[in-house]
Amino acid sequence: MNTIHVNINNIEIPTTADKTILDVCREHKIDIPTMCHLKGLSDVGACRLCIVEIEGMNKLQSACTTKVADHMIIQTNTDRIKKYRRITTELFFAERNHVCSVCVANGKCELQNLGYQVEMDHVRYPFLFPQCEVDTSHPWYVMDHNRCIMCTRCVRVCQEVEGAHNWDVMNRGHAVRIISDFNTPWGESTTCTSCGKCLHACPTGAIWPKAIVQGQLEKKPEIIEELIEKRKMHDGF
Amino acid sequence: MKNRKKIATVWLGGCSGCHMSFLDIDERILDIIQLADIVKSPIVDQKEFPYVDLALVEGSVTCDEHLAEIKNIRAKSKMLIAFGDCAVMTNVTGMRNYFPLNEVLDTSYVNAISNDEGGESPSHPCLMKLNDKAVPLQEVVTVDFVIPGCPPDADTIFYVLQEFLNDRTPNLSTAHKLKYG
Ligand code: SF4
Ligand code: SF4
Repeated sequence: MNTIHVNINNIEIPTTADKTILDVCREHKIDIPTMCHLKGLSDVGACRLCIVEIEGMNKLQSACTTKVADHMIIQTNTDRIKKYRRITTELFFAERNHVCSVCVANGKCELQNLGYQVEMDHVRYPFLFPQCEVDTSHPWYVMDHNRCIMCTRCVRVCQEVEGAHNWDVMNRGHAVRIISDFNTPWGESTTCTSCGKCLHACPTGAIWPKAIVQGQLEKKPEIIEELIEKRKMHDGF
Repeated sequence: MKNRKKIATVWLGGCSGCHMSFLDIDERILDIIQLADIVKSPIVDQKEFPYVDLALVEGSVTCDEHLAEIKNIRAKSKMLIAFGDCAVMTNVTGMRNYFPLNEVLDTSYVNAISNDEGGESPSHPCLMKLNDKAVPLQEVVTVDFVIPGCPPDADTIFYVLQEFLNDRTPNLSTAHKLKYG
């Protein structure tokens, strides 16, 4: 593929047109926060954290779903972008019930880290305090909707990597929920293989194994990409 | 010394953990009292809330008493600091907000497994009256600075106090001291 040139934060970068802005930024150690992106899964541009400014375009674009083009001029960290990232992060916290002090993911949570990254010291919006379900029906795992940010990483990993398609999405707006099968308890699922991939893909304390307690969660989201790479190797034989 | 400042520390709907963490600054409290007097605090015998330069308020606003108290504190403090996760975002004290208040009270006092039988929700007029929802301080008064954390680290508390007492503005982000939980 032919080499093209993009300009990111005033630096000329040679690359190829098959890549997204996020790919190029990650390759060149340009920091862009993400939540719904997970290496190995398809990109959906849902979390709106990877927004960037592209010269000639009024709207901010999500870096994970926008391909680079020759002579594209991109800014990844302007005051406008920082303002929106902080708003988005605060809305994650305001929408459901994030009580880090009693959360299994405390100290190892991607959402918590995002808060520190965007310098969120408090949330400027009123908390919604919705009554959310905690599904403990699965013999090994828990699904706590209080801590779900609707990144849909679990949905995509289950569908695209495991091929089981246990998870899906129901409703819209702040009534939106992740569901197991046709909105039945996870423990009664006829599709879930109990492989645990969604647990590792989930960036927060929403999906976790019953065998652990507060602050002890160890997730390895990078195993998803490793799995995919290993499968490709085997397919080659 | 005419520049000595006055500090108050108060706890509303919290567990006193933030105050424990405050005490964990240990001997550095001597550095604080070089620059300021702690005039109202659970460790000071003072009934009325006096006029102060800095008020550290732990806990959320959960009842009528807290609401009156935080308004009084606001009126008498040059700088009001929300101290800890409960004060900043309700934290554990807000977990009752997902349910109607009567259900919460009945769960504790009427239907609790530990109840022999019967039991009733406390309603004596001299008791404080729980509000429908616990709210963070910022929802009822203007807050000038926040220290999140459950509890905030002693180092963070000391850092913030020292900055304010030396007429500087602390920045938790650049000081790498932001923490929830
Ligand atoms: S999921 Fe993360 S942000 Fe939410 S309560 Fe748990 S530690 Fe906090
Ligand atoms: S359960 Fe976890 S992975 Fe699934 S949508 Fe919610 S936060 Fe994302």
